Amino acid sequence: MPERETADEAGNGLEPSAFADLYTEHSRPVYYLALRLLGDPEKAQDATHDVFLKAFRKMDQFRGEASWRTWIYRIAINHCRNLQLSWHGRHVFSNADEMVWENAAAQTDSPLRVLETKELGLRIQKTLDGLSDEYRLLLLLVADQELSYEQIAALTEQSSDSVRGKLHRARKAFAVLFEKTA
Amino acid sequence: MKQQSKFSAEQNSETEHQAQSQQQREFASPEELLRFDAAQTSVPSAVAERLQRSTETISPPPNPSWWRRFFGGTNS
Repeated sequence: MPERETADEAGNGLEPSAFADLYTEHSRPVYYLALRLLGDPEKAQDATHDVFLKAFRKMDQFRGEASWRTWIYRIAINHCRNLQLSWHGRHVFSNADEMVWENAAAQTDSPLRVLETKELGLRIQKTLDGLSDEYRLLLLLVADQELSYEQIAALTEQSSDSVRGKLHRARKAFAVLFEKTA
Repeated sequence: MKQQSKFSAEQNSETEHQAQSQQQREFASPEELLRFDAAQTSVPSAVAERLQRSTETISPPPNPSWWRRFFGGTNS
């Protein structure tokens, strides 16, 4: 690898710049989102690269109406969604299946207890794969503490109240499925 | 409770090294679990290296003039 003339202060391999700062701050949440949406580390790497390349090309169009995080999340969500549509193979629960979660047993209100092993990631992925695309995305977004409900609502194109209601059901659905992966 | 006893029993019977690597955790919500999972997930360094190569072939976007930033609009 050729030596860089300027110091790579961020330590991420990119030459210092506003874009490098953007990558340093947002690459981990974007990669994690892609990983859990796509379910494959290699696809997530490709998606993360493509998302930030799009961001690099469009940085001059950013007008500051949203935060950098929501702006780049929007690129990532659209990118992952387009990839999934092109695969045509995902099983998606219809709205009718939501009744399953509504009638789920009371133990889903209990804390999630897990034995911390390297298989935890596999359990989480399996659980997320069993949810609808919408529930999966909502849970992943709400897990990012930098996002408010309003920002999540804007990213998913619905009201904050709708987000809150669906998150309640999504949490329940996750708990039910997660217990089954044990 | 049975399951919890089972987890405890498993820990007692493990070697000290294995017991340290299998610690039972409790999460109040799915998002708390996901945050824990996210915190343990790193972006492979190959992504940044590849991105560096990709962006080198693209002209950097022009900085918008201050008045465009103030009044909105994109560069033509």
